Amino acid sequence: MLRYAARRVPSAVVVLLVASVIVFIVPRLAEGDAADVLAGPDASDATRDAVRADLGLTRNPVVQYLIWLRGLFTGDLGTSYIRKQPAGEAIGAALGQTVTLTLAALLIALVLGGLAGIVMGTGRSPVLTRAVNSLVSLAFAVPPYVSGVLLVLLFAVSIRLLPASGYQAVYDDPVIALQYLVMPAVCLGLPTAAVIARFLAASVRQVQDEEFVRTGLAKGLSRRRLVRAHIVPNALPPVLTVLGIQVGQLLGGAIVVEAIFGWHGIGDLLVNSVLSRDYVLVQDLLLFTVAVFVVVQVLTDLAHASIDPRVRLEVR
Amino acid sequence: MFQHHVRPMRRGRSAATALLTCALVLTGCKSAVDESGSGSSGPVRGGTLSIVQSADIAPATFLSQNNPNFAMIRTVFNTLTAYDHDTLKPQPELATGWDVSEDGTSITLRLREGVRFHNGRDFTADDVLFTIRAMQREDVATQLKHVALAIDDMSAVDDHTVRLHLSHPVSNLFDMFEMMPIVDKDTFGDLLAGKKFIGTGPFKVVRYTPGSGVKLVRNDDYWVKNRPYLDGIDISVQSQSQSMLSSLKSGESQLALDMAPLDAVSVRDDPRYNVIESDANDSVYYVGSNVAIPPLDKPGVRRGVAWAIDRGRILNQTLGGIGQTSSLPWSTSSPAYGKDQAATYRHDLDKAKALIGQAGATGARLKIAYNAGFATNQAIAEIVQFNLKQAGLRVTLVPLQAPDFFSKLTGGGLPGLFVNVHGFNQLSPATEVKGAFPFNADKNASGFDSDRYRALAKSVWEVPAGQDTDYGPLNTFLLDQQFVSDLVVSSHTYTTSSKLHKVGYNMFDYLDLDDAYLSR
Repeated sequence: MLRYAARRVPSAVVVLLVASVIVFIVPRLAEGDAADVLAGPDASDATRDAVRADLGLTRNPVVQYLIWLRGLFTGDLGTSYIRKQPAGEAIGAALGQTVTLTLAALLIALVLGGLAGIVMGTGRSPVLTRAVNSLVSLAFAVPPYVSGVLLVLLFAVSIRLLPASGYQAVYDDPVIALQYLVMPAVCLGLPTAAVIARFLAASVRQVQDEEFVRTGLAKGLSRRRLVRAHIVPNALPPVLTVLGIQVGQLLGGAIVVEAIFGWHGIGDLLVNSVLSRDYVLVQDLLLFTVAVFVVVQVLTDLAHASIDPRVRLEVR
Repeated sequence: MFQHHVRPMRRGRSAATALLTCALVLTGCKSAVDESGSGSSGPVRGGTLSIVQSADIAPATFLSQNNPNFAMIRTVFNTLTAYDHDTLKPQPELATGWDVSEDGTSITLRLREGVRFHNGRDFTADDVLFTIRAMQREDVATQLKHVALAIDDMSAVDDHTVRLHLSHPVSNLFDMFEMMPIVDKDTFGDLLAGKKFIGTGPFKVVRYTPGSGVKLVRNDDYWVKNRPYLDGIDISVQSQSQSMLSSLKSGESQLALDMAPLDAVSVRDDPRYNVIESDANDSVYYVGSNVAIPPLDKPGVRRGVAWAIDRGRILNQTLGGIGQTSSLPWSTSSPAYGKDQAATYRHDLDKAKALIGQAGATGARLKIAYNAGFATNQAIAEIVQFNLKQAGLRVTLVPLQAPDFFSKLTGGGLPGLFVNVHGFNQLSPATEVKGAFPFNADKNASGFDSDRYRALAKSVWEVPAGQDTDYGPLNTFLLDQQFVSDLVVSSHTYTTSSKLHKVGYNMFDYLDLDDAYLSR
């Protein structure tokens, strides 16, 4: 196992190094730089040049790359050209918002999708099943950028129950934070809830035909207990697989929802950094994304190898 | 504000209890929607004003006029003077009086006493000298650097008197005094880096979260007695104009800065909102020509372009009627404005075709570049494209990201025509022809290089402050050369809730909230 890990990890490091070169070069291929943004639209060439020199953008690109790389190895992600704040601080704050939104959406998706899936799967009340089925179809069909606008019009503009946009950290004021969180989380979570509901319903229907369910019925177990204690737990594994994929999609979808509700998460940070040519933040964010994928891949491979000896043997 | 209607439920009592608990937690304790707003009718103290704007503040450009800073400059800082909007006569702010020498090359400013910065330090003449020297620095961005650089000698006569000597008379000296916030000399570096914001203004910065917003609180030591009324201001960034509108409609904010014109217009007739169109009228949409790109090197073709464009359609369809069509850059408040000359070019395809034909450019290919981050520019570019096709040119659109666009704007790399917006048209014409990049006689976005133009620019600049001169020759030249074809002289807008009163601004559109208050 150690030998497998010793072979797998260096290749991941090489991937990260190659990625670091690519994420350093690509943003610089676009026209304009941070000095154009910082100096403003009416600035003279001399002012732009002075700002450019102050930012260190006139240095040899190789030197700029090595300085950045050295910083990464020492835990210094650099300082944003535009925001003038440590990149780690900016990314941490944005990541906090995106993760909060994604987790809340996931919770909503699990609760709503779970309940709807059980109702649809067990199908005890035809009327209720049809109603839930219709709602699930609706949630599946309506994208977040439509449901977001509708939710704002209904709950923020018409009845003024919840704030239309903005964010507050949970540790600042949990009640206010919750109010800001509800609509974005519902908007993001609904399509995932629909996916979970459909998979769970199909899985429940399949499990209901299993012999142990009929045995339970023959033994006189109540329908409710049978569903709660036997059918749902056995129907969950395929749903969990789908859930893993959905978490990635939730993170991607969060970017759209953040824009609608004025949240300043990772998506907003990346887009603004690209548009303002804030190379340091763009490089850090892209490399961070690559690193997440590489680490997950390595961990998956290691897990696979620990379970399946054939994988370890292939390496020899 | 919140009404809860919880119906008794016979079944599912636990579910009802859970829902009720959720509703109480979410809305019963306190609300994010009505946190601000207080007071009764008439000026009252208290309340936090919530402002939404589309972009983050840009501290590195605090000595420039830059739209994202409109809510910060005059709320956190003060300027030396402020123009009266009707007479354009400078009025006292931190400078209480001034004497300009007869030849316009020397000015003595008397400064207000008893003014303190937010860090408790007294405001003195040294702070004025420091701020002017900062504007002279090459690495500090400001459109009025040419004015600061014209000051060849400056000194503090005493703690509250400053004497400036100019290398020549400068007509737009008071434009600089109005645009230049007086900064604290001890923390200027931190200001540019967005770390510390120390001014003498009515509000103090409590917290700046880059990319998200700024929190301000009342400066209890403000030099204007009994002001401001508000306890504080929250400025937040909402990149989408529609989100700004929703925030305003939901009552979460009370002022939206520079929403997309069509969004602002959508609530103009609703009594719950006010759309304030700045009377500075310093948001001018134009089509520029890179005169190095054929056939735009021929003035006849540029005039043909000017005749082809349907300015009325642009005004109504893309700007919701905010502004007025014009062939000149000037606001009606500008001493250079002339009604007849402003009406020179109108939508006349026959004239356009004739001029383009005479120049042998019929069927020529042209590109129109624009900043794609600004939806209004795209809509205008599409109308211009349509009009020029009607006039016999083959036109394609080139959307560019903002840094790319501005890099090419200053570097001269735009591929032909370009749609953009300029300001600096509301005060001294010298500020436009010496400071705004599209018109800068020394170097401009069009690559238009003319001794005659430089001489005309000099003739309106080297005039003693406050004295008028003949702007007719400059206007005639601009109308004839058309390296910039002005389309619509529009305004920055402040869309407010009707609960917000007495919103002021100076002639550079810096929000002045000394007298602002929120009613219930």
